[in-house]
Amino acid sequence: MLYDIRLNLRYDYDAAAGGGRHQVHVLPPTISGVQRVIAASLSFAPSPSERSDFSDFFGNSVTSIAFRDVHDALDIRMSARVAVSRPEPGLDVSPDIPRLRVELDAVRSLSPDTPHHFLAASDHAGVDAAITSYAQGSAGRSVVGTAMDLCSRIHRDFTYDGKATTVRTRASDAFSLKRGVCQDFSHIMIAGLRGLGVPAGYVSGFLRTIPPRGKPRLEGADAMHAWVKVWCGRDTGWQEFDPTNGMRASNDHITVGHGRDYSDVAPIVGVLKTTGGQVGEQAVDVIPVVLEKT
Amino acid sequence: MAKGNHEKIRGRPHNLLEHYQPIDGVVDEMVDASGNPRPVWTNFIEALENLGPEKLAQRFARADQYLRDAGVYYRVYDKAGANEREWPLAHVPLLIEEQEWADISAGLVQRAELFEETIADIYGPNRLIEKGILPAGLIAASPEYLRPVVGIRPASGHFLHFCAFELGRGPDGRWWVLGDRTQAPSGAGFALENRVATTRALSDIYGEMHVHRLAGFFRRFRDALNGMAKGSGGRVAILTPGPLNETYYEHAYIARYLGIMLLEGEDLTVSGGRLMVRTVSGLMPVSVLWRRLDAAFADPLELRPDSQIGTPGLVEAIRRGAVSAVNALGSGLMETRALFAFLPKISRELRNEELLLPSVATWWCGRDTERAHVLANIDRMVIGPALSTRLAFEDDESTRLGSALSAGERAELIAQIERDGGDFVGQEAVTLSTTPVYVGGWLEPRPASLRVYLARTPEGWTVMPGGFARVGFSLDPTALAMQRGGQAADVWVVSDRPVERETLLPQEHDSFTRSMPGSLPSRSAENLTWLGRYIERSEDTVRILRAYHVRLAEASDPDMPLLADIRDYLEPFGIDTATAIPLGLIGTLDSAVYSAGQIRDRFSPDGWLALKDLSKTIHQFATTVAPGDDATRAMTVILRKLAGFSGLLHENMYRFTGWRFLEIGRRLERGIQIARTLARLTRAAAPDGALDMMLEIGDSVMTHRRQYPVQAGRRTVIDLLVLDPLNPRSILFQLERLKAEIALLPSVGGEGHMSPAAKEILQLNTAIAIKEPSDMTAKALDDLADEIGGLYNSLAKAYFG
Repeated sequence: MLYDIRLNLRYDYDAAAGGGRHQVHVLPPTISGVQRVIAASLSFAPSPSERSDFSDFFGNSVTSIAFRDVHDALDIRMSARVAVSRPEPGLDVSPDIPRLRVELDAVRSLSPDTPHHFLAASDHAGVDAAITSYAQGSAGRSVVGTAMDLCSRIHRDFTYDGKATTVRTRASDAFSLKRGVCQDFSHIMIAGLRGLGVPAGYVSGFLRTIPPRGKPRLEGADAMHAWVKVWCGRDTGWQEFDPTNGMRASNDHITVGHGRDYSDVAPIVGVLKTTGGQVGEQAVDVIPVVLEKT
Repeated sequence: MAKGNHEKIRGRPHNLLEHYQPIDGVVDEMVDASGNPRPVWTNFIEALENLGPEKLAQRFARADQYLRDAGVYYRVYDKAGANEREWPLAHVPLLIEEQEWADISAGLVQRAELFEETIADIYGPNRLIEKGILPAGLIAASPEYLRPVVGIRPASGHFLHFCAFELGRGPDGRWWVLGDRTQAPSGAGFALENRVATTRALSDIYGEMHVHRLAGFFRRFRDALNGMAKGSGGRVAILTPGPLNETYYEHAYIARYLGIMLLEGEDLTVSGGRLMVRTVSGLMPVSVLWRRLDAAFADPLELRPDSQIGTPGLVEAIRRGAVSAVNALGSGLMETRALFAFLPKISRELRNEELLLPSVATWWCGRDTERAHVLANIDRMVIGPALSTRLAFEDDESTRLGSALSAGERAELIAQIERDGGDFVGQEAVTLSTTPVYVGGWLEPRPASLRVYLARTPEGWTVMPGGFARVGFSLDPTALAMQRGGQAADVWVVSDRPVERETLLPQEHDSFTRSMPGSLPSRSAENLTWLGRYIERSEDTVRILRAYHVRLAEASDPDMPLLADIRDYLEPFGIDTATAIPLGLIGTLDSAVYSAGQIRDRFSPDGWLALKDLSKTIHQFATTVAPGDDATRAMTVILRKLAGFSGLLHENMYRFTGWRFLEIGRRLERGIQIARTLARLTRAAAPDGALDMMLEIGDSVMTHRRQYPVQAGRRTVIDLLVLDPLNPRSILFQLERLKAEIALLPSVGGEGHMSPAAKEILQLNTAIAIKEPSDMTAKALDDLADEIGGLYNSLAKAYFG
């Protein structure tokens, strides 16, 4: 599938912000076997006094910006054309969890995609006894089977509620609320799998939403999305699951970044020097591009 | 102790060893297995005995007095919160013979080299992991493995520049490494203070024994830091978490001792990929950062986002090679307890060497064979978290002695280890050697560990010939940690030949350049200004209160018009005249102490001590002094102590930018206070006696008597206290001083341009200089106070932003 993606992040500050430095993670990268970026651009208003681009440890694109002058709003616009083509999931040959541990121990590497980075508790997705015990209900099968079952159960057992949690909510808190958004469901699934000894990470990106039949697609109605990647053993490798929708990641899922949890891929991080609060808005358009045959 | 020894030592003037009873099976540093003093101790003990108990007590009191005078403290966190505690010096040094020290040094240099290669491999090519020597999962799980710095080669070429190692001597007589400190080792400054204090007490003995000096170590490291900065155009700075840190005293001490800028995260900013310090002369580059804060807190953008003490963009500056961190961010990983288990193999792999100094035997339970060993020997083990970076004997919450567990606890722990082996390490429970402490006239043995410091120089690692020993208060070896009531002893490395004497002062053959201390951090400037203001505000308040209480003592009627007027005047400032030492006054002085505490590195110990003494006095008076005569006397004492503090600063502070801000703060405040008080006491409706009281507050009674052959009138009082440029209490005098000092501040907005503050003070000074006493109405005086206050805002905008 080919998509045109537009993202607009806007922050209005109560009191003018005197300078500041941020890192922005919104540019989708090319990922071999998953997606190819054909064009991408990122712009800021006001124009930052410094800007530099680099890749972080996990290979995500990071744009670092700094402002010297006082400003009372920050507007970030990203647009990209991305072709997504994920392989169909093949026959499940993933090991069970005890066998997975043996395979994991045999991985002698700290390269960014190595499963070791995704097993230990992280800030948002700490291992939690209650979540682990919930995840136990999906154990006893292959790793892919466990992940898919946990993914479906979270979809079934939890209520989508944009008001129940914030970007800072931890997995354990969302788990006791039994509500939340894509970020929370992903953290719960990650914490559950780690509790079972299965490496799992956080993927941020976009999801194409299909408007109800006969209704036009509303502009900017989409939001940034999050889902989970799971290490399913030496041969199967990383597989992606979307617990918000109870499905595997598909060609409707466009990846921006991945890490141990939300804090590795938050769209914007940085300290603002302002005494007041700040209000953020987010608008996303994911538009399928139909190329006419010539 | 064997009986024969009693015979041998009886008859000495003061037999210190009479009650010395080392524990069976434990090595003692001072006496051998048969109770005889080891050779390195013989002369030392004899010298102590010759002094006799009385002199000895006096001598040790002298050391304690030194530490109190120098204000050496560390911060203790307990249930009651954070408190400053005096440094607990154990007066008897630990003596180590030179040859033994050479062996320790060689072992530690080898260890430091090994750590450098290991850390470079973990953040670089990862050969140790590929070969299976280090488990990838262990490293990946560590919170000290900092992904944002993976792949960065340090600008200096090295990860480690300053390390400390904690050693203990086991029952076999060998030294073992108990812990490694590679993050931001503390205590080197305390070691130096220990030495100064101990030699205060034992100067003659120290002078006669050939003890290796410490100063050269610090000089070499300072030179190494300066060498790293050379050619980069940047300077060297020490980064501290701030005055609330447990070892802030030491950060300030080292900064002062080595003449290096002491900064907090907010003093720094990153601009154009370079690390810069905000100074009163603008942004100045920093190229070597000796950090005393944990790496995870260094940059909220790429490391811990909740850090309030970091500098956003620091990692980016490091990535660009613009700054060298000492030690490199991520170096704290080498403190991980589980790494002990892998060091022998790593040493063979990377250096083809065996460890000269072993670590305490450690098994990581993440592998089957090792786990089985730990479980089989759990009663001889200390079990703790694999990823902990704390020393086992300091970590009483999560580290447990296998033999001390109840049956239930034991079963639970075994189940945990079987389930999550990778989270645990087992370590052989070590018994530490004992060293003597002086208790009530006798020497007694106490368990001790030894902390040793290493610094990198262009010629390689240099070892501090000494360090400090942590000595238990009881025979319990787990009660060593300073946070839990251990004490610290100096360590003397004793030679049988005269040793080289080194000092931090430049030697004759050193080339001499005077480097001007050009860059005062903005935050320090702000604190100095406020210190000046608070001190002056305290003094002005005390002068008014003294004048008040003198009159109250005579009249004993607080409703007498003049007293009622003063009461109403002071009340809005939080000064309640009904109490002898009002809370508002205590608050002002506490604020002065706080401001001074933020800039300890810029203070002489004498200055700090004078201020602390002032604060102690006023808090004590608050509970004992009654209004009237009693309060008058108390105010006189406070005034004298204030004058002492001011005198110390005035006579001893180097006349550069820092002093200038202090002086400006002082003059601003005095100008404001005199103007306000004058406005009140010279107004048309002022009660009888107000003018005399004003002269007294303005410390100008005598001058007035000499200058004017008349009784105090409004005109003469105004003339003397506003317009007389020779009276150090007059407003014009303050303005002249302000004009002179502001003109000498670093220029803002380009050379040759007058700063807004300089323009304002020039205008104000000129306007007042040409005034007549009749012009200075109460309203004019109040406006003048506001205008002087406005100057502060202009200065703050230009220099403190």
